[in-house]
Amino acid sequence: MNQTNRALNRILLFLIGLVLLAVGAAMVAAAASPVVGDVWRSTSEQLESGLLGAAQASPIGTSGVSWVIVGALAAIVILIVLLIVVLARLGGGRSRSVLQSSMDENTLGRVVVKDSFASDALTHSLASRGDVVSAKVTAAEVQKETVLHISVTPQRNTSPRVIALEVDRLASNLAVLTGQDIPTYVSIRTGLRARLATEHRELA
Amino acid sequence: MSDRVLSRVIRRETHSPRTVAMAVAVVLVILALIYVGLEIVLDLLSQPALLIAPADALAQLADVPGIQPSGTVIGIGVLVAIVGLVFLVLSLTPGRLSKHRMDIGDRAVIVDNGVLAASLAQRISDEAGIPRDHITVGVAHRVVDVVITPDAGLPIDASRVRLIADEEMAGYRLTPPVKTVVKIAAPKEQEFSR
Repeated sequence: MNQTNRALNRILLFLIGLVLLAVGAAMVAAAASPVVGDVWRSTSEQLESGLLGAAQASPIGTSGVSWVIVGALAAIVILIVLLIVVLARLGGGRSRSVLQSSMDENTLGRVVVKDSFASDALTHSLASRGDVVSAKVTAAEVQKETVLHISVTPQRNTSPRVIALEVDRLASNLAVLTGQDIPTYVSIRTGLRARLATEHRELA
Repeated sequence: MSDRVLSRVIRRETHSPRTVAMAVAVVLVILALIYVGLEIVLDLLSQPALLIAPADALAQLADVPGIQPSGTVIGIGVLVAIVGLVFLVLSLTPGRLSKHRMDIGDRAVIVDNGVLAASLAQRISDEAGIPRDHITVGVAHRVVDVVITPDAGLPIDASRVRLIADEEMAGYRLTPPVKTVVKIAAPKEQEFSR
């Protein structure tokens, strides 16, 4: 779970796919059919003369370099930078502060629940069970809300129902203890470790 | 409030983000752009082109349909179109991951299909007394396939297995609900019968 912009992923994939499909189809059609080939020829000749005309019409001083070429270069650089930004922004959204500001003040004093308390308590209770291979608790930021993610890898052949009920119970207990009911989601996973941690080697 | 957040989480956890495909496509585009930019810069500096100068490329574009053999152009075109089609399909299909949602407790529970399959197989094995390695379970988005390969001469009561499987699957309270299909395969060849 992260904050990758999935809509952007799909829009980019769609646009790039559409362009590639169009170019590929045009190449096939132009090579296979004389009619389409003529259209290709006349279009690209128009394109060439249009671009050359534009380049000659917009010289930069007497250098022989055209604004059109500089503009094309600038557009390419901007596009490259934008795409790199898109790649660099992938992921993110993990938050380390679980139950950070939980403070209770009463006559006896103040109780501060530390960052890692929630995850430690849950992980420990789960890991001490025989039917759990590994457990991990992380926090994520979803739409500006903290969401607790409990990831459990049970022993192979363990009922996910049993695990789900147990995790639900533990999370409810924690919510009562800390007085904070953080939205929680549980994922029950298979993994290599789950497969190795059992006497059954068959694929199920 | 948190219901909205959790349903978003469930959607994101059960569907592919398409990040890898997007990254591949974007890197391809970046490489192509770098190449074109490089050729333009080399041309501006009056240096020899890497492959072809921009003006020549533009001029030769018109000759593409006439390149012989025409199979080369068609082949490259088909290749490009296929890559484009793959990206298009990836961008439009839901990209469901092999996971299900369980409605247990008031928390969002997402379970890998493999966990469901292993658990169901174990339950059938325990209840029906069939050896665990004779049971193969496949969990798909809407259907669960239980295939039992019995030993020769040992009849299996398919309806009983179906009952057990249905009961176990009902206990998982999956969304979307899945249908259970039980198949009895032909008996395994015994070692000594060869």
